[in-house]
Amino acid sequence: MLKDLVSEKLIKLQIEASDWEDAVRKAAQPLVDEGKVKTSYVDDIIKGVKEMGPYIVLTKHVALPHARPESGALESAIGIATLKTPVEFGNEDNDPVKYLFSLSAKDSSEHLGALADLAVLFEDKAFFELLDRTTDPKEIMDYINK
Amino acid sequence: MYKALVCCRAGMGSSMLLKIKADQVISENNFPIKTEHGNLDSLMGFNGDLVITMEDLSAELKDKVPYALGVRNIMDKVEMKAKMEEFLASKEK
Repeated sequence: MLKDLVSEKLIKLQIEASDWEDAVRKAAQPLVDEGKVKTSYVDDIIKGVKEMGPYIVLTKHVALPHARPESGALESAIGIATLKTPVEFGNEDNDPVKYLFSLSAKDSSEHLGALADLAVLFEDKAFFELLDRTTDPKEIMDYINK
Repeated sequence: MYKALVCCRAGMGSSMLLKIKADQVISENNFPIKTEHGNLDSLMGFNGDLVITMEDLSAELKDKVPYALGVRNIMDKVEMKAKMEEFLASKEK
């Protein structure tokens, strides 16, 4: 379940980022701080986008930064970040990105349920309205736990 | 029944969400497509009919797989449906 992988400490709202790389690093930093991934995992996310293009941008204004588990995922987790000023990832269909869901995927079965929950949330307008409005991670957790 | 591999670079994030959405579109439309999920390594030895992936990756795969279906917006079911219909039409020729 999504609520098992997200926690208040993994939520950073209205952060300032100068470009997409800065946005990914800042969005994923709580996962590093909380021991969910090694810094090398974040490096691999950046490397992946540089090599393969902005494939982590999945839908309008939404990115799912993630890398291969072997690059340094320690525990499955999902971080949520919003940007004060949206940034361009170079994905012409879905730019600019405002919401980042950083995924640490340790093994695939563990987070499948969480991703299914995310897929539902991505269609939930009220959730994005809340993300735009609030600066309190607890409000996000309350919404997810609902 | 056609066999599709849904993949992304890591096989952990985008592709799983993509599989969830692709399966929804397939079942809503009764398309004769069965999906499995993997990463770029799963492509080696994949003997199915099409590969479903994000648009950026699909350009790279085009020459390597029987059919590459690239999705631009994962939540856009209209887009995915149209592209699956295109694939099915190409098989009927």
